[in-house]
Amino acid sequence: MFGKGLVKGMQITWKEFWAPKATIQYPEHQNPIPDRFHGRFVLDLNNCIACGMCANACPNKVISLRKQKVGTKQFLTNYVMNIQYCMFCGLCVESCPKDALHFSKVINMNQYFYNNIPLVLVQREAPAEPVEKEKPAAKPTSQPKADKSAPTAKSEVAASKASDKEGE
Amino acid sequence: MIRTQEYNLNFGPQHPSTHGVFRLLLTLDGERVVKAEPICGYLHRGIEKLAESRTYTQIIPYTDRMDYLAAMLQNWGYVMAVEKLMGVEVPEKAEYMRVISGELSRLASHLIAIGTYSLDIGAFTGFLLAFRERETTMDLLEELTGSRMTLSFARIGGVAADAPEGWLDKVDKFMDKLPDCIDEYDGLITGNEIFQARTRDVGVLKPETAINYSISGPTLRGSGVDYDLRKAKPYGIYDRFDFEVPLGKNGDCFDRFDCRMREMRQIIRIVKQAIEQIKEIDGPVIAKVPKVLKPPKGDAYEEIETSKGIIGYYVVSDGSTKPYRVHVRRPSFINLGYLDEMLRGYLVADVVAILGSIDIMLGEVDC
Amino acid sequence: MFENLFVGIADGLRSLLGGLPLEINEAIVMLVKLVAILVFILVNALWLVYMERKVAGYMQARIGPNRVGPKGLLQTSADIGKLICKEIIIHKDTDKVVFMLAPVLVFVPTLMVFAVIPFGKNMAAIDMNIGLLYLLAIASLSTVIFWMAGWASNNKYSLLGSMRSVAQMVSYELPMVLAILGVIMITGSLKMSDIIAAQEHTWFIFTQPIAFLIFFIASVSECNRAPFDLIEAESELVNGFNTEYSGMAFAMFYLAEYANMLVCCAMVTILFLGGWLAPFGLDFIPSWLWFFIKMYVVMFVIMQLRWTYPRIRVDQLMGFGWKVLVPLSLANIFVTGIGMYIYRAIGW
Repeated sequence: MFGKGLVKGMQITWKEFWAPKATIQYPEHQNPIPDRFHGRFVLDLNNCIACGMCANACPNKVISLRKQKVGTKQFLTNYVMNIQYCMFCGLCVESCPKDALHFSKVINMNQYFYNNIPLVLVQREAPAEPVEKEKPAAKPTSQPKADKSAPTAKSEVAASKASDKEGE
Repeated sequence: MIRTQEYNLNFGPQHPSTHGVFRLLLTLDGERVVKAEPICGYLHRGIEKLAESRTYTQIIPYTDRMDYLAAMLQNWGYVMAVEKLMGVEVPEKAEYMRVISGELSRLASHLIAIGTYSLDIGAFTGFLLAFRERETTMDLLEELTGSRMTLSFARIGGVAADAPEGWLDKVDKFMDKLPDCIDEYDGLITGNEIFQARTRDVGVLKPETAINYSISGPTLRGSGVDYDLRKAKPYGIYDRFDFEVPLGKNGDCFDRFDCRMREMRQIIRIVKQAIEQIKEIDGPVIAKVPKVLKPPKGDAYEEIETSKGIIGYYVVSDGSTKPYRVHVRRPSFINLGYLDEMLRGYLVADVVAILGSIDIMLGEVDC
Repeated sequence: MFENLFVGIADGLRSLLGGLPLEINEAIVMLVKLVAILVFILVNALWLVYMERKVAGYMQARIGPNRVGPKGLLQTSADIGKLICKEIIIHKDTDKVVFMLAPVLVFVPTLMVFAVIPFGKNMAAIDMNIGLLYLLAIASLSTVIFWMAGWASNNKYSLLGSMRSVAQMVSYELPMVLAILGVIMITGSLKMSDIIAAQEHTWFIFTQPIAFLIFFIASVSECNRAPFDLIEAESELVNGFNTEYSGMAFAMFYLAEYANMLVCCAMVTILFLGGWLAPFGLDFIPSWLWFFIKMYVVMFVIMQLRWTYPRIRVDQLMGFGWKVLVPLSLANIFVTGIGMYIYRAIGW
């Protein structure tokens, strides 16, 4: 009969009027962020071997890193992500042979000024050569610079075997 | 009879119902369409050209940006073409993950399609109620892949990750809830007499014409042509599922809309079966592929059924790490081919109804 | 005590000005009444925008405005404040005088109509003996203003919208008046208070159900609400006749829509729902409150219609008006006439 659908529609909206609402009032309440969420990047300096595979994996050339040879190993001095070009595809995180690069659950990456947009994960001076030579002695103090030495030795091996790591 | 003057109306690119930045140059006689000239390219980013300077894996995130409402299906099509090129065998579990995430993507896309269509016709509530369920779908996909829309989930040789703990049960629960929601849309939109009056016998697409214009997807099936790649040429593991292909009768806007509506119920069937079967399978979700992909010289074409129609990826390799050429057969673009003749003689209000019923996705049209 | 609250205020004012000559006294009282109506309309329009958004939200699984003021009550005021601050863009091809005149005039018909509407017992500003005729004549004037706005904008979308507005008015004013004829035949008067008094025992919605339905549909169409919101039709014509308006000029149209709705709901209440008469002998609620409650029930139904139904197409609108509503209303007049004849012949 004509009009049945019209009445049905009114019934549905009437029912919806009293039904619980789906809205989450954002700043006060928030949806739980899943573990795999692609948020702001975190670089675990203890693990990073400055191999540059993340920079190579990136489709948009977002990552730029500078490294310096200190002694026998590579020392990461500068790691900047031009986050405005980032697609958050996660290929860099996946390509990391040492699991040093991670996503965090931070969703707020807004910046007021354009210059602040690039995400500077590392910016530091390389230790001077003499310091590096003294380093074996300084190692137990666990300064960030000193920590770099441990994983570096295995880095070459890991990079070459990285093919197994794709897709975790 | 009084002679009247025809005039041009720029319908878009900044118009609320062109679903993006599509432009239609309408020649109108009063409110009746005399001629319609679709003009696209406002969202052109040169993805095919970009692909030539990226490695095979790096192209995957770009395919997301074509049909961003069903990103997994786009990834899937591309990845299948490269796998064919390289002769990679995909693990069984990965195939199931692809089916589940792909069908969820299709569901999200169809929910948008029916929601925006009801908005085009003028009913706002259907739009937001469809978005409510889409939100749940997005949450599920986010939990699986980390992103909500641009998933980049498929990898050459499998998928990026296995399902997290308890995820499959969550999907199963959502699938149990979904039929009630679809009933609600049916009551609110499909069954509504005004909606039917607006869409029945509007923008009729004859089956022969649809085939001649190489139209695909629900737009084709709305005309009654039984051609769904999942059934006709089952790719992946689609031959293991028991589902139907909903067909329309008249090929009008209502049939096209109704096809999507009924297809959503089939999605529920497929996902439920897939979840049942995947629980018995153990193994990796990605095949052993080298870190640096260097497919042999040659080319490969692979097509799958997305929510908009048949998407085909043609990948040519020159033996290096980057493809020589990637071409995409975009269903939204090809489905637009008949638009001009479909619109002629209808009113301005029908233009919105017909354009909405084709369910174009501008990211895909302009590529 | 509340029953005669407003009548009492008017009487008090009259006696306060007792020393003045009668004409001046009456003129001042009338002025106060009209200002009161103006305030009533504006406050209601503000509230209705809020209510609409809240109702829409609740029907769409969301909660609507909730940030500005308690429960978002000040949202509309904040919006109006924002719109006042905005520039009114007048592009170079507009007919500037008409373009700016339209939003100024858009409230005029609504204000004029409210002069004859009885908000409660003895609470009409003027109880004219041709009240209903006046109301119908003035209410359709708003179409001219929509036409002005659309024509002066020099925009094709606006023009299409305003053309639709005129066509819609022509085809829906007729069934509306014909539907009211059934009521007028029974009451034998065009005076508002007489029409309400005639519904002492049964409301006309029960004796004239078809007329009610036709009148309701036609009045929804008159105030351009979905499913008949063709002149705005945001998915087809961007925003119809007020596409080119910005700032406060746009807000005037927006508020006028709600003021028009108020008129329509008031008319439905007066003609078919017994006006300010209390049903079931619930006299302890004052008459003006009853009028208000009934008006808002109708308002809610109109809002629910908007958030449930899709928009009808322009040719279907015409077809529905001329092929369904007009014959139906003529049939209603015929049946009413026969009914009245039998009624008199039997002599109940």
